[in-house]
Amino acid sequence: MKHVDTPTRPGEATSEIPDVEVTLNVNGDPYRMRLDSRVTLLDALRDHLGLTGAKKGCDQGACGACTVLVDGKRIVSCLALAAQYDGREITTLEGLTDDGEPHPLQKAFARHDAFQCGYCTPGQIMSAVSLQAEGRAGTDADICEFMSGNICRCGAYPNIRAAIRDVVSEANDASV
Amino acid sequence: MTTLEDPTRTVIGEGVDRVDAPLKTTGAAHYPNDYTYPGMVHAALVGSTIAAGRIRSIDASEAQRAPGVLTVITHLTAPQLERGPMTLLGPSPPAPMQDDRILHYGQHIAVVVADSPEQARHAASLVNVEYEPAEALLDIEDPRAEILENPWGLDSERGDVSAGFAQADVVVDERYTTPDNTNNPLGLFTSIASWHGDSVTVHDSTQWPHNVRTSIAQIFRIPESGVRVLAPFVGGGFGAGLRVWCHTILTAMAAREVKRPVKLVLTRPQMFTSVGHRPNSVQHIKIGATSSGDLTAIEHRAISSVAMEDDDYEPVAAGSAVAYECPNLLTHDRQARLNIPCPGSMRAPAEGQGNFALESAIDEVAHALGMDPLELRLRNYAEQHPVLGLPWSSKALRECYTLGAERFGWSRRTPAIGSMRDGDWLVGYGLAGVSYPFYQVPCQARASLRRDGSAYVTSAATDIGTGTYTVMTQLAAECLGLDLNRVRFDLGDSDMPYSPQAGGSGLTGALANAVHMACGNLVREFLDIVRDDDASPLRGAAAEEVTASGGRLHRTDAPDQGEAYTDILNRHGLEELSADGRSTPPDPQKIGMATAGAFGAKFVEVRIDPQLGLLRVARVVSAIDGGRILNEKTASSQITGGTVGGISQAMFEETATDAGTGRIANATFGDYLMPVNADIPDMEVIFCGGPDRATTVGTKGVGEVGLVGMAAAIGNAIHHATGRRLRSLPFTIDQLLL
Ligand code: FES
Ligand code: FES
Repeated sequence: MKHVDTPTRPGEATSEIPDVEVTLNVNGDPYRMRLDSRVTLLDALRDHLGLTGAKKGCDQGACGACTVLVDGKRIVSCLALAAQYDGREITTLEGLTDDGEPHPLQKAFARHDAFQCGYCTPGQIMSAVSLQAEGRAGTDADICEFMSGNICRCGAYPNIRAAIRDVVSEANDASV
Repeated sequence: MTTLEDPTRTVIGEGVDRVDAPLKTTGAAHYPNDYTYPGMVHAALVGSTIAAGRIRSIDASEAQRAPGVLTVITHLTAPQLERGPMTLLGPSPPAPMQDDRILHYGQHIAVVVADSPEQARHAASLVNVEYEPAEALLDIEDPRAEILENPWGLDSERGDVSAGFAQADVVVDERYTTPDNTNNPLGLFTSIASWHGDSVTVHDSTQWPHNVRTSIAQIFRIPESGVRVLAPFVGGGFGAGLRVWCHTILTAMAAREVKRPVKLVLTRPQMFTSVGHRPNSVQHIKIGATSSGDLTAIEHRAISSVAMEDDDYEPVAAGSAVAYECPNLLTHDRQARLNIPCPGSMRAPAEGQGNFALESAIDEVAHALGMDPLELRLRNYAEQHPVLGLPWSSKALRECYTLGAERFGWSRRTPAIGSMRDGDWLVGYGLAGVSYPFYQVPCQARASLRRDGSAYVTSAATDIGTGTYTVMTQLAAECLGLDLNRVRFDLGDSDMPYSPQAGGSGLTGALANAVHMACGNLVREFLDIVRDDDASPLRGAAAEEVTASGGRLHRTDAPDQGEAYTDILNRHGLEELSADGRSTPPDPQKIGMATAGAFGAKFVEVRIDPQLGLLRVARVVSAIDGGRILNEKTASSQITGGTVGGISQAMFEETATDAGTGRIANATFGDYLMPVNADIPDMEVIFCGGPDRATTVGTKGVGEVGLVGMAAAIGNAIHHATGRRLRSLPFTIDQLLL
C-alpha cells in the first residue's frame, strides 16, 4: 500500500474544508491518500499520484480528455470527486500497456495518425477501449456516435475512427 | 553531396508514423500542465466582471486569510512592469495589472497564490472588487469606435475599379459577416515559473519559446541567458500560443514574489478571454464580370475588431488582391477599437474570413452568369502574381481544381438549384479556391554526429501537432544518410538554436531549410577533418563530390571510396562533430519569382433536410499544392484537421458577447459549439504539384490552407441545394429552415 499525503505547510491553519481518506486502486495498485475533499478524481490522479496521462481540457465534463475507466466503465474524471471512488478499480492510459507492450488501440492510433497535438489522445484511447467493451464499436455509425463525447480540436476524427475500425476488425479476424 | 532529388532515397515524403507517437499514445508526452516542481504552489486569477471602467476598490483581505494562501497580488501591490518587446508579429500585449483601468471583460485584476489549486481557486472567489463602470464599446459598427485605416499598409489598388464595374455585364455587391471565434486548443494554457536568483525556468503553452524568453527577460530586466523556456509538447495552439500573454507574465511575477515555483492553469472560460480569438468582421465585396465570365473589377472592404490598447494582424480583405487575374481591384482593411479581450491569430487568420466573402461572391457571379463556378475560376486564373507581376515560385492550383474535380465527381453536378436529391435530402455541391499567402522568417538549427554514428539535431521550435518532430527527423536522416532510428530531432527548449514561431504556415519551410543547411555543414566538417588524412578514401573530397548513405560518406562517382562517420571520429579522437545551419526567406526580386504559399481547391457535398433545416457535410475533397510533402501522413492530417476547423467555422463556432456587459456568454465547451466525431465525414486529401522553386527543400506550409475555403464551399453547396445564399457565419439551422 502506498501512502500519499496532501502537502500542508507547518504552522498552517488546517483547511476549513475537511480532508478525506480515500483508497484508490489505480492500474492494479492501491494508493491510500489523504485529500482535500474538493479534489477531483482527475486531480488526484494527476497532481497527487503523478499519473498525468489523463488530461484536463475543460474541467467541466464536456471534452472527454480526462476519460478513465472505473470498474471497466468510462467516466469523465474531472466531474468525479476522488472521495466518491474509495476502493474502486481505476484504469488510466498508463495502465493499458501490458508489460511494456502497448494495447492494440495504442498501436493503431500511431499507425493511423489518429492525433496531432496528442492532448485528447489519452481520453480518446480510453473511450475506444470502453467502446469495444460496450459492444458499440461494431458499425461506423456507432463509432461516430459513441466517440462523440471526446472532442479533438485538432480534427483527427476520421483517423480516430480508422484506428478503432482497424482494431475491431483485427479482433474479429482473430475470433474467427 | 546528397540532393533531395536523389531517386534512390525514400525517407522523405514517406508516410512514416510520427516519431513521438509512442509517447503520445502512452501518456509519456509531457505537456506544460503535466510538470511539477518540489515545493510548487498554485496560482488562480481573478477576472474583471465589467468591460470598461475602473476598479474603485479591491479588497483582498479575506482572500489573504483563506487557508493555504501565500499572497494575493493586485494592481495596488504588483511591481511596475514594462511592456514586452516588439516582435515579428507586432507589439507584445500591454503589461498586466499596472493600474486601475478596465479595458475588457475577463481582464486579469488579481492573482492568488496558495498551496493547492483548490485553495487558490477558492481564495480567488473571496477577492472583493468594486467597480466604477463606464459604457463599453462592443459593437464593431458602433460609430463611436476609433477606426484604424489600412493598419498594416497592405491595401491594394490597381487599374480603375469604377471603369471596371462600368464594363461589367454582371455585378454582385454584397455584405458578408463573420463572428468572433475562439481558438480553444484542447490543452488548457499553463505556465510554470521557477526562479533561482535572477534566473528563471518557465514551462509554457507556447508556439514560440524564444518569444517567451525575450519577453520575460525584458519585462523582468534579467539577461536572456538566464531565462529558459520549455515546451516540448503543447496541447494545440491554433495561434493562441503565438504571443506572450499576461497570465505567463503574472505567473513569473508571482513566483518571484513567493520565492517558490508557481503553476497557473487557465480555466476553460479564461481561455476565451486571455489568449486571443479570431475577431469578427464585416465585409463588403463587389465583383464585376462580363457575360463571357471575365472578371472586370473586384472591390473588397473589410473591418474587424481589435482591443483598446493592443494590436492584431488581421488583413481580411488583402488576400483578395492575389487570388485572381483581374485588371481593376481595390482592397481596403480597417479595424475598430472595442472593449474586448484582445483578438489574435487563429488558424488562417484573415484568410479564413476574407476567403469566405471572396469565394462566396465568385460563386454568386457564376450563378448570375449561368456559368459553372469551376470554369469561372479557371478562366480568371492568375498565372502570375497579380501584385508583383512575377511568375510564382510554384502554383499548381489549376491541377488542384482539375484533379480535385475529377476525384470529387464535379461533372455529376447538375447546375439547377435543388436539382440533386437523395430521398428526402437535398444535395448540394460547392467549391472554393484558396491562395494562401507565403510567410517565412529566419530560423536556425544545429546537427551533431556522435561517436556511435547517431545524430542529434535541434532547434527551439515547437510541434503543436504539425508533425515537426517527425518530418525534421526524416529530413535529417535523409541529408546525413542515416536510418530514421539513428536520428533524434529535438525541439521546444529556448536554449536550442533560434527558431521562429510555429505559425503563419511558415515553420516547416524555415526550419527544413535550416536543418538541411546544418546537415550539409556537418558533412563539410567531416570532409574538413579528412582533408589531409592519408588514411581516408575521402581525402581532399569536396562536399559536392560526396554522397551520404548508410551511415557513411562516399565519393558519388565511386561508392566504394568512402568511410563511416564513426571511423572518421575514431581515427581523429573526436567524441562528436556539430554544425549549424540557418535559413532566411528568399527575396522575390532577387530570385525573380513571387514566393508562393500553398494553394488549394475544396470540393464539398452537403445534405440538407428541408423540413428540419438539418445540414450535414457528406463529402469533402481537398486538393492541395503544398510544395514538397515531407510526410504524406502528417501532411494529410494537417489538411484534414484544417478542414475540420473550416467546417467548424462554417457551421458551429460563434463566440457570443453579451451586448450589455461584454461578458462572453458561451465561454464553456458545453455552450461553444465545435464539431464532434459524428459531425465529420471521412474526407479525401490529394496533393498536387511538386517542390517549390524558391527554397532548397521546396516545402510550402500546410497548417492553415486546409481550413480556408471550407466556409465558402459549404455556403456555395447550400446555395446549390436550396437557392439560399447565406452570407453570415456560422450557418445555423434558423437560416436553413425552408
Ligand atoms: S476535462 Fe473532463 S471532460 Fe473535459
Ligand atoms: S490531437 Fe489535438 S485535440 Fe486531438
